[in-house]
Amino acid sequence: MFELVNTDIEGQIFAYLPFGDIVDYFSPYTTILFIFALVFTIIAIVSKPERQVDVAFGGDAYYTKDISDKQMRFQRFMAVACGLATMGGVISGDVFNFTLFTAMVGIANIGIVASTRNKHVLDNAYEYGILAMIGTLPLFAGAAITVAVTGTLSMWLLFTPAISVPLIAKLLLVIGVLAEGMAPVYVAKAEITRAPGAPYILMVHVSSLVMFLRVIEIVISM
Amino acid sequence: MILQILSEYQTGLFIAFVCIAVAFIALIKEKDDLHRLLLTDIVEIIALVVIALIGTDLAEALILPGLVVGIAELLALAEVYIEKEKLVNSPEKFLHIEIMDSAPVILAVLFLLYGIILSGFTGGAVAGVGMVFYFLCKGSSEKTEIIETVSGYAWVAWVFAFIIFMTLPQYWFFAVMIAGAGIFAKVAAKMSIVGTMRGERNV
Repeated sequence: MFELVNTDIEGQIFAYLPFGDIVDYFSPYTTILFIFALVFTIIAIVSKPERQVDVAFGGDAYYTKDISDKQMRFQRFMAVACGLATMGGVISGDVFNFTLFTAMVGIANIGIVASTRNKHVLDNAYEYGILAMIGTLPLFAGAAITVAVTGTLSMWLLFTPAISVPLIAKLLLVIGVLAEGMAPVYVAKAEITRAPGAPYILMVHVSSLVMFLRVIEIVISM
Repeated sequence: MILQILSEYQTGLFIAFVCIAVAFIALIKEKDDLHRLLLTDIVEIIALVVIALIGTDLAEALILPGLVVGIAELLALAEVYIEKEKLVNSPEKFLHIEIMDSAPVILAVLFLLYGIILSGFTGGAVAGVGMVFYFLCKGSSEKTEIIETVSGYAWVAWVFAFIIFMTLPQYWFFAVMIAGAGIFAKVAAKMSIVGTMRGERNV
């Protein structure tokens, strides 16, 4: 019963996991993304945070930034949560589940960045947070318009040629993922990488990249 | 005109998009961080409106997770705002909540009134809880002599009631009333002393 119609992008399906109506699936495409997220989650679990070195200009002095145990634990927790949400998102076979996992990625990203007690970093985390909050509007609106027009959220049905999803829904979905994953902005801001706690910050990049690859695949297939 | 051409759903969607435009313009114009946070809530609500426009059971099932996500993000961002503006007051006492400054008088009075209505032992316990709450919140630096005085008079009233029981049994109802009031005041006073024993130097 569960067979992908369009195998140009995804390839043949390996396996599927039915949870009632929601059927997650592994195709070569989603499996690669899943493994990518899984590897980085494991890295976040096992690695110790790096301690950055600040050099005082005009002298020989330098000092390492210390990361407290409490902060490290919180960042690690958020990074793992972000990794789990990413893994859930990429194998999702249901548009609404995908949007919910994306929203969770957004919240976890705010958590990773905001755990640093630094005025500049917190200022930026706040701006990202506003962006992520606004991002839920196009994200959920995209899913809602999809279900209103087609009557279903299951990708198994949406990917068939019989059902056509309106362009506006696809656009809103992509914009939503952009905003939630902070993809368009994080590269432009130095504060996010300046924050101590390197392996966990990586998760912000990984999750937004992977989610973005997945949403593009969904939009093209629909 | 436009309402006749479009279906109900499309009309609703059109109005929602107008609201979205208004909300986003407001977000662009607003410079104050806290106000922007509040404005994002309007954006979230319009997102729920767009989902609700579907008007089926599925929409209902989708609104709940949407609402949860919105609230979670609002809470997280509010925390970030508090942290970045350094609005955190480390509590002076172990348990210090804002309501403990504003409400104890009203709540204590309500407890006392309800206790008086109940009267007797139960009423005393209820009124005493009110007083315990009051002293826990306000600290026991207030003068507590009045409690001791009331306690003494309550004891007198109780003894007086028993004398009536033994000597003038035909006035038993009057005696029951006095005894009830007495034990009420006694229990309330004893309970309130528990409240005064909290967190002061000389205890």
